[in-house]
Amino acid sequence: MGQYLGRRALHGLVSLIGLLVLVFFLARLTGDPTNLFLPLDASLEARQEFAERHGFTDPLLTQFGRYVGDLARLDFGISIRQQRPAMDAALEAFPTTLKLAAVTMTLAIGLALVVGALAAYRPGGLFDRTANVISLAGASAPDFWVAIVGILLFAVTLRWLPTSGTGTWLHWIMPIAVLLIRPFGLLVQVVRGTMIGALSSAYVKTARAKGVKERAIIFVHALRNSTLPVITVAGDQAAAIVNGAVIVETIFGWPGIGKLMIDSIIQRDFAIVQATVLLTAVAIFSMNIVIDVAYAVLDPRIRHN
Amino acid sequence: MKGVAFRYLPMMALAVVAIQPVTAQAQEVTIVLSEEPDLLEPCQSSRSNIGRVVKQNIVETLTEINPTDGSITPRLATEWSQIDDLTWRFQIRQGVQFHDGAPLDAEAVAFAINRTMDENLDCEVRTKFFGGLTVTPTVIDNYTLEIATNSPVPILPTMMGTVAVMSPNTPMGVADRTPVGTGPYRFIDWNVGTSITLERFPDYWDGPAEVAKATFVWRSESTVRAAMVLTGEADIAPNIAVQDATDDIMDISYPNSETSRLRIDTLVPPLDDIRVREAINLAIDRDGIRGSIFSKDVIPATQLVVPSINGYNPDLEVWPYDPSRAMELLAAAKADGTNVDTEIMMIGRIGIYPNSTEVMEAMLAMLQGIGLNVKLQMLEVAEWVDILTKPYAEDRAPVLLQSQHDNNNGDAVFTAFNKYHSEGAQSTLNDPQVDDLLVRAGAATGDERRSLFQQAFKRINADLIADVPMFHMVGYTRVGPRIEFTPSISTNSELQIATIKMR
Repeated sequence: MGQYLGRRALHGLVSLIGLLVLVFFLARLTGDPTNLFLPLDASLEARQEFAERHGFTDPLLTQFGRYVGDLARLDFGISIRQQRPAMDAALEAFPTTLKLAAVTMTLAIGLALVVGALAAYRPGGLFDRTANVISLAGASAPDFWVAIVGILLFAVTLRWLPTSGTGTWLHWIMPIAVLLIRPFGLLVQVVRGTMIGALSSAYVKTARAKGVKERAIIFVHALRNSTLPVITVAGDQAAAIVNGAVIVETIFGWPGIGKLMIDSIIQRDFAIVQATVLLTAVAIFSMNIVIDVAYAVLDPRIRHN
Repeated sequence: MKGVAFRYLPMMALAVVAIQPVTAQAQEVTIVLSEEPDLLEPCQSSRSNIGRVVKQNIVETLTEINPTDGSITPRLATEWSQIDDLTWRFQIRQGVQFHDGAPLDAEAVAFAINRTMDENLDCEVRTKFFGGLTVTPTVIDNYTLEIATNSPVPILPTMMGTVAVMSPNTPMGVADRTPVGTGPYRFIDWNVGTSITLERFPDYWDGPAEVAKATFVWRSESTVRAAMVLTGEADIAPNIAVQDATDDIMDISYPNSETSRLRIDTLVPPLDDIRVREAINLAIDRDGIRGSIFSKDVIPATQLVVPSINGYNPDLEVWPYDPSRAMELLAAAKADGTNVDTEIMMIGRIGIYPNSTEVMEAMLAMLQGIGLNVKLQMLEVAEWVDILTKPYAEDRAPVLLQSQHDNNNGDAVFTAFNKYHSEGAQSTLNDPQVDDLLVRAGAATGDERRSLFQQAFKRINADLIADVPMFHMVGYTRVGPRIEFTPSISTNSELQIATIKMR
């Protein structure tokens, strides 16, 4: 197992280095930040002076050499807009996104396992059809629309919840609910599909013949064998949230890394783009390793191979 | 199971209802901005979300521009006079102290000016208002300061209304995140990503303000900002979209000093033919746009500055909607050899103002209606800025560029040179007469200055038709029922908490 993890970490490191090189050049393909940073009325001389002072007029390879040298010292540069180390800004924003992702995915996986399994127990039944409609609607609903309608209904009309912001547990409800809808909808569909297959398999029939209780058949025997595809999809969904729950962060005013990354791309704040991409990439690589380990734990065939 | 759910549901609902959202407290106000400031650097206070927090709240200026008529009033300077073409003398207000205890004197103001002009500091105020100028402050005595420039600046007192005076203990050449000034509010805390808190300064030179504490928060979505005021989570949303301004009592429209236009590239055929430019202006149904795509409160424009700006020409007339005449002009131009069938690019900027795409689509249809071969492209801000500013591509297509200009600084000089002088960074005009008028206006004072700018705008908009002026735009501020606050043209760049009264 240790050797396996080491190999995966090495793959991750190589990909990370490739990504850091790619991000440097892709970010600069968008153009010079000078025109975006300076006021529209700035003179040509002021633009030239700004670009020179920040090294944007240097040849690209010179800029790249400087970037690599800084990276070697774990210096991710200074944000031109915030005038402070880019990694500080990224590290301040990241915990918010991680918290959102952790709570959302825990709830989504837990709920989807129960609902999906129960729906698969009687395919075509009332519960199955209801779960199907809700989960498909959830997987298809645009989250910005759900968020705005949620605010208008629960904050403005009913006055049950705050419109946005952070501070109390009430502030968590709407952002989590909005974030939850899509992964929950997808995971219910995945759980349901794999559970229908599992419940018609030979080992379930054997268990029934032996008189094992239905609850144990569903939640112990069949569900455990159905979790591998669920983990794959859940990992994918979690990566999407870690990469930035941009809509939720924007609408509810949660200071997460997704909004920081998008804003810095739009403003060509290269240092923050690089720092946020690196941070999310490390998180996603780490999560992939955890998923691989979970596979190995759940499926002895993978472990022994 | 069903029974359990129904038993607990009312209790859960009650629990939620019982814990209402935290609302603003007495003597405290919450202001919701559209985005978090990147910095709280006084030198960047011309950027709206920084200015709304710091300008005239934490840091003050020597002079202040009256939002109603553009006149200059005293703030940290009590009086000023011109010594010679290159030098002005300012008397500094006595008995004023910074929030850190340092006294305000001529030395402190000289420090603030030197820090603003320091090229090691990225400073929008310097770049925007003092480009190409060398500014040298000289302390005459404790409360007298002379400010010299390397070329005549007849409106230096106006320009000092943009330079924030920060504490002399502020580091040079390093952007500030904890500003210290002389204003009615002092900086308390910036919880990055969440809020900024200011507190009333009890020793303020003009007496303590009414509001004890102000908290700034930010939400990108206009709907959310409007909802926050509606639910009492915030007291002021300085900038909400027209579609969210649905409450006649809380939503106040104000001229936001922005003027929208289509910039005509007069240097590229067929837009170098004045008949084509006139036809384009006649094809735009401004009354049709007002009250439908734009607010009913916008005012059709004749030039790029608003009426309160010194140099505005009141004699120019709004272009009528006359597509028949426009088609005649195009036919005449075609008969004289102008290739009016050339494809003209309308280039817009996504989100430059509310409904920016919709208005461009409407104008596209209007221009196609008179027979022009027009194509629309909407760009993100970065690509748009590259087209807006020089250097321009040699082989560029004829372009009508959607743009908007903000000038609430009292004088047309902040607009005219950059936009219309042949050497201006965003000019697509090359007319020696305009160049001459603008240079002379920039050096003149008083009535002569006003007259020269007015002549320049007549030349630009009536004689040369270098623009498609659209509207003097409005903004909407939502003000909650707990407070009294009236937005003005300056609300676009500052929000003076000291002017807020509790009801």
